[in-house]
Amino acid sequence: MKLETRKLAICFTVLLFLFSSNIVFGQKTVTGKVTDETNNPLPNVSVTVKGTSNGTVTDANGNFSLNVPAGRNLIEVSNVGYGTQEISVSGKTSVGTISLVADSHTLNEVVVTGYTSQLKKDITGSVSVVNVQDMNKQPTGSLANQLQGQASGITIIGSGQPGETPQITIRGINTFGNNTPLFIIDGVPTQNISDINPNDVASVQILKDAGAASIYGSRASNGVVIITTKQGNGKVKVTYDAYYGTQRPKSGNIWNILSPQDMAQLKFNALANSGTPVSAAHPDALYGPGPTPTLPDYIMPTGAHEGDPSVDPKLYNVNPEYSEADDLAGFYRIVKANKAGTDWYHEVNKPAAIQNHNLSVSGATDMGKYFFSMEYLNHQGTVLETYLKRYTVRANTEFNVSKRIKVGENLSYSITDNNRITPGEGSFIGMALREQPIIPVHDIMGNFAGTFGGQLGNAQNPVSDAYRTRNNNGLNNRLFGNIYADVDLIQGLTFHTSFGGESYAGIYHSFQYPTYENVENASKNSYSESSYYGYNWTWTNTLNYRKTFGDHRVSVLAGVEAYDNNYRNMGGTTPNYFSFDPNYVNLSTGSGTPTTYSGRSTDGLWSQFGRVDYSYKDRYLVSGTIRRDGSSKFVNEQYGVFPAVTAAWRLSQEEFMRNISWLSDLKIRGGWGIMGNQLNVNPSNGYYTYSSDKNSSYYDIGGTNNSIQQGFQAGQIGNPDAKWEKDINTNIGLDATLFQGKIDLSVDYYVKNIKDLLFNPALPATAGRGIAPYVNIAGMKNTGIDMQLAGHFNISKDLKFDGSLSLTTYNNTITKVTESSNYFLSGDSRRFGQSINRNQVGHSIGSFFGYQVLGFWNDQAEIDAANAQAAKATGDETAIYQTDIGLGRFRYKDVNGDGQITDADRTFIGNPNPKLTYGVNIALTYKNFDFSMFLYGSQGNDIWNNVRWWLDFYASFAGAKSSTALYDSWTTSNYNARAPIQENKGYVSTNGVPNSYFIENGSYLRAKNVTLGYTFSPQVLKKAFINSFRIYVQAANLFTITKYTGADPQVGGGYIDGVSSVTDFGVDEGTYPTTRNFLIGVNLKF
Amino acid sequence: MKKQTYYIGLLILATIVTSTSCKKEFLTRTPLGALSEDVLATPSGINGLLVGAYAALDGQDLGASQAWSGSVTNWIWGSVAGGDAHKGSDAGDQAPINPIATWSITPSNPMAADKWVVTYGGIDRVNAVLKVLPKVKGMSADALKNVEAQALFLRGHYYFELKRFYNMVPWISDSTKDFKQPNNVDIWPNIEADFKFAFDNLPETQSDAGRANKWAAGAYLAKTYLYEKKYAEAKTLFDQVISQGMTSKGVKYDLLPGIEDNFRPEKELTSPENVFSVEMAANVGTGSIDNATMGDMLNYPYGDSPFGCCGFYQPTVDLANSYRTDANGLPYLDAYNEHAVKNDIGILSSKPFTPDAGNLDPRIDWTVGRRGIPYLDWGIHPGRDWIRDQDFSGPYAPKKNIWWHATEQYHDNNSWAPATAINYYIIRFADVLLMAAEAHAQTNDLPGALTLVNRVRTRAANPAGWVYQYKDNSNPAAGFSTEPAANYVIKTYASFPTQDFALKAIYFERKLELGMEGVRFFDLSRWGIAAKVLNDFFDYEGSLIGDVKGGHFTAGKNEYFPIPQSEIDKTTIGGKATLTQNKGYQ
Repeated sequence: MKLETRKLAICFTVLLFLFSSNIVFGQKTVTGKVTDETNNPLPNVSVTVKGTSNGTVTDANGNFSLNVPAGRNLIEVSNVGYGTQEISVSGKTSVGTISLVADSHTLNEVVVTGYTSQLKKDITGSVSVVNVQDMNKQPTGSLANQLQGQASGITIIGSGQPGETPQITIRGINTFGNNTPLFIIDGVPTQNISDINPNDVASVQILKDAGAASIYGSRASNGVVIITTKQGNGKVKVTYDAYYGTQRPKSGNIWNILSPQDMAQLKFNALANSGTPVSAAHPDALYGPGPTPTLPDYIMPTGAHEGDPSVDPKLYNVNPEYSEADDLAGFYRIVKANKAGTDWYHEVNKPAAIQNHNLSVSGATDMGKYFFSMEYLNHQGTVLETYLKRYTVRANTEFNVSKRIKVGENLSYSITDNNRITPGEGSFIGMALREQPIIPVHDIMGNFAGTFGGQLGNAQNPVSDAYRTRNNNGLNNRLFGNIYADVDLIQGLTFHTSFGGESYAGIYHSFQYPTYENVENASKNSYSESSYYGYNWTWTNTLNYRKTFGDHRVSVLAGVEAYDNNYRNMGGTTPNYFSFDPNYVNLSTGSGTPTTYSGRSTDGLWSQFGRVDYSYKDRYLVSGTIRRDGSSKFVNEQYGVFPAVTAAWRLSQEEFMRNISWLSDLKIRGGWGIMGNQLNVNPSNGYYTYSSDKNSSYYDIGGTNNSIQQGFQAGQIGNPDAKWEKDINTNIGLDATLFQGKIDLSVDYYVKNIKDLLFNPALPATAGRGIAPYVNIAGMKNTGIDMQLAGHFNISKDLKFDGSLSLTTYNNTITKVTESSNYFLSGDSRRFGQSINRNQVGHSIGSFFGYQVLGFWNDQAEIDAANAQAAKATGDETAIYQTDIGLGRFRYKDVNGDGQITDADRTFIGNPNPKLTYGVNIALTYKNFDFSMFLYGSQGNDIWNNVRWWLDFYASFAGAKSSTALYDSWTTSNYNARAPIQENKGYVSTNGVPNSYFIENGSYLRAKNVTLGYTFSPQVLKKAFINSFRIYVQAANLFTITKYTGADPQVGGGYIDGVSSVTDFGVDEGTYPTTRNFLIGVNLKF
Repeated sequence: MKKQTYYIGLLILATIVTSTSCKKEFLTRTPLGALSEDVLATPSGINGLLVGAYAALDGQDLGASQAWSGSVTNWIWGSVAGGDAHKGSDAGDQAPINPIATWSITPSNPMAADKWVVTYGGIDRVNAVLKVLPKVKGMSADALKNVEAQALFLRGHYYFELKRFYNMVPWISDSTKDFKQPNNVDIWPNIEADFKFAFDNLPETQSDAGRANKWAAGAYLAKTYLYEKKYAEAKTLFDQVISQGMTSKGVKYDLLPGIEDNFRPEKELTSPENVFSVEMAANVGTGSIDNATMGDMLNYPYGDSPFGCCGFYQPTVDLANSYRTDANGLPYLDAYNEHAVKNDIGILSSKPFTPDAGNLDPRIDWTVGRRGIPYLDWGIHPGRDWIRDQDFSGPYAPKKNIWWHATEQYHDNNSWAPATAINYYIIRFADVLLMAAEAHAQTNDLPGALTLVNRVRTRAANPAGWVYQYKDNSNPAAGFSTEPAANYVIKTYASFPTQDFALKAIYFERKLELGMEGVRFFDLSRWGIAAKVLNDFFDYEGSLIGDVKGGHFTAGKNEYFPIPQSEIDKTTIGGKATLTQNKGYQ
């Protein structure tokens, strides 16, 4: 591959060389100064030569100097929040002072879109512009989490875990696999924004429809987020922003766990209900012969009481760091019962600190501009041993090499140390909800206590699990950025070249300690280390030509782009360590046989694209883009072509609308286009291969009992005919500005049809076990409305109000799966042994599937009647209505009406996709005080509360149980129960199959953030050489309104192999909690 | 302006040049870390593909939803579904096994597809061998024939499994292009043909103990005849296998001195009883248990036992009672449950218990772990403390799959649950003798049948192969005394008076000899007595133990497992199913 890369580099060098000679044309320099209405200088105001891309910005004193080409007489001065002015420079070299009038509407904002920038009023596609200030108020280090609720059209689902990447989707779900949008940071594409310092971000734009995004054709299907980082301007400016806070886990009995005495009672009840009651002839090993249970003094030795010779501490023998599997058999454990009950939730969830410090230096001179920042983030998780520590530095500079040539770079480097857990039954949280309360954290000697003995279920002590990970950690680093040059070739024609990308690497190590306190112990000790590194680069070259002829404005863009991506990883594990000292263990010091692995992958893209924008009298706007992409992941059909057209009509410019005084601006827009996708495809998808694997294809053919010989198996099953997935997109929208800019409104309706969707359906077993290829067979449709509404009001001289609402809806429907099947199953099978998610044509992705619970079987007559009906319907006298039908068990709905409950009666019982998500920002400023609040809500999504499976059914493993199981389960005197009868066996008619008992309404409204700030007046600060100083207090997640009964309705994305997934989400398995945070922060400028 | 036009022209030209000359190589990226078919068309390559086809025998890493439900040991499908064993553990653990145990299994049961999936996975490995074989250069005709015959032996085995599980299954060969094939043809003739080819072309001995030889193929072909009820062909071939057969290592077929010797890895290479087994290997340096008995990883005593996981696969009370012998040392063929073996249901381990003192077949204590009896060399089985939920799954523990403390090297602890190097026998010689007895009885050679059955019973009666009391219960490592662990009384049959009696005795002998070896259900099914035997079992066992209460076997339906719904779905074309569901499961 090296050779090809080099060849390509040569090709590009030739291209670049063509522009290296400097071209000079006739022009003059015009200077001036820009102020606001009260004569305060305005820095960073955009000054452009009208009809060209020539422009500059004012410095800290409001001064500017601009080269105006011969033949150009108008310059345009614009700034966010002010009205645009056009000034004639005919015959002048200075225009004196220009005073801008405040104008709160944002039409003249310059918005960075695909490969270029546009005035917001000229945009014909669908673009959301994020208010970065509002966004930055969220106390999280994650840019993605900050985006939640701040822009219409983007849905973000994540939990409270530090560093966890949330599920981000733009306008619904577009593929069965990776739905992460394409992020373009300073012109460089990436899928990873986890280590971007949110404080460095200057602007975020979300390109939602094909008209806006298909210039990124090949990778635009999931939507595009354009992020621009800060540039320097004006005088040297130093800012320091910091906050420090505490995160408080929810108090109380979060899961309503029973006390030890109640747990024992529940066991007695369940055994009695199952016909094996505890009695003198049949006593319980822990709780005695009954009739009421007696708590023992000791749980190990099982059921022992104080004074029993077996609890003599002299007998105690546990070596927590044993290294021989055999030692385990000789241990003698003594564990007291915790009769008061251990609160496992709060044993693993502790208050935690969060702090962030950010320092930046920026400025500009006529030779260039610079921005430099560094960040330190320490976000401790409330769950033991979870945290995110991050250090980032950024340097953005730009130099004016000559009047026509600008060269610059944007670079950031980050170091991240992020320990996370994967929520689920095996995690500390999953174990905390299962470990019985009678078990103490420690045994009589201070070693860990647990389920050893077998009478208390098979959960693990979550505190010991967490403690054993204390030395596990890793370090990731990433260099991301680009270098670029802009050359003004001739008037209106700009050449832009950018070479950028990322180089990243990481290492992780962990030690597996042997366990001794649980009933199922791992006796092996081992040390593992893994590392990865990768790089990718994108080289983009574009030509942009802009020209105005009278009423006609034209802009043309043409470009080529190459992308190359490479990744490698390796790792190993060595077992059997003489000492577990973290300073001793490494891959070489273990005495066992080490195992290793490594892997690598590579892929590339090659693209050409063009775009034409035309406007007539600023009233009629049309735009067309086309992009042709080639991907190395395809063999026979490497190329795809992605066109889009959009048009807009600014009605407010028409004569008949001009007299409507309250309507400042009104534009309707529409567009159609195609975007592509190939993210999910494995790079070797096009080829048939064989592979070998020690676990699956090696065999001890010699009968040695301790060695294996190499064998081979099918690897990839190739599909050389795979081609680009196509996302056909129609959008109609309007932008309006009302009441002289007091209100801005933007509404869009869209339809996205995904054709030739690349999917790797499971092959029939008869095809063998090779890796199923991606084929272009499936289809999906999304429709929805995005709306953004903002208002700005000066209520009195001192009191200002700003409010905004962003609203996102999507309705996802699968239109095709494969030729043979109209559905596929996904997600972990959990303890049902079968998937709870069914992705079926006509339904939304990730939908929950199972039996509908109608109620309980309250008496034998009901059961007899149902069985009689089944006998009649089937003609079989022995037929029963429902498998495991029984008193107090669930009655399921006979969906197909055939008189019997069968597999065919399973139905769609819930949908994890929210119908609507919304964010509300409210800001009030009174004199030096500022107050703001951000509310976020999700409406119409269902949650699969899998915690109920563990806690509400006695038969779901002998773990901790909820008060529902004891006090609100079916008995002959409680027909209106929530849970079914408690028995010692799981049934199809209780907890054995997915059913609607686990579905809950997951809607919620949460006050994500409430802030009160005070800004000191400049007079006070001058003496301290401080330009501005603000101090604030903030409360995050202050309150939540929800009907959801689980610990937290903000359930993260689902996980498949630890990766967030759109086919398995909205499942609460003991989610990582979002905590209430209280912070204090400062913003300082020097 | 001319100069500018010139530059623009050059730029466009350069763009075209770069975009056409560089793209092709840039966009060609061959797979990394993978082999192409050509590379494997060598002697070592084809052998590697063949080893891969053997590696699929254990049913692991072939796409099953769980290691245990795809396991070659068939402990769920042969033993739990056949009344030999309870699922074990507690109610919520691996709940999809519950409806298999009670025969309320539905086609969408998540484990129903597993045997289908892993077995076709094995067939795919065999077909890969057969596809590449014609391209191999540098191998003698004999060597090529040996590879082909081993491959066909394996394919015969895989289809035999599918046949007895699902009855009608599609035949996929190395020339099949479309994998959505219907299941409308009986594949017994194809299975016969594969074993016949293997029998005719395999050498008597092989370089590796794990490879199939001529006599393994002969025994399997005869077993196929038996399942097809071609008793005469079966009898002839079994007789030939018994008289001439030898292992791949050249050891003449015979019984080992004790039944337990079959489950001792140190004895397998020289074992005369090993007809064809799946080779298990422990601690092979992979940091995983995938090459050991991963499918049995749950099947060890629980509680404060030294094993760790997970209290599954508990012998039934019914199975234990079967080992009761009468004063003549013979089993109660019908009324064994009326002579139940004393057990410790409801008794805490801290309370006293005296084991059964009546007459017992000594094989009980190599098959059923019970309170008060030495549990190999791990100590006296303490009863309830090693059982996860006695109310739910009974008082007993498995034994044949347990490693000995003294041979710890055969224990693999590279996972959260243990595994061992104990091989699984697809066919062992005792099985051959009993199958041969069946063929003799069916062809009315009752004395011949008697001799064969008594050969197996004679081995069982050999005191050298019994369980003895420890010298010191507190120190099992000190070894065994000369005092038998229970009152073992076992004798040979004096005669088989009628064909019916002979068959009954043979059927029962298979239960005793092959108990907990994953074969019981398939025997019951082919004998046509599954409904009677299992419904009696549900009545008896269900009255004692919670998990099988209410179980019911439906004759004419449950003789086969359902065709997996997921496979029917995946092979449907245009809304029309390619596969036909088995009778009663539609």
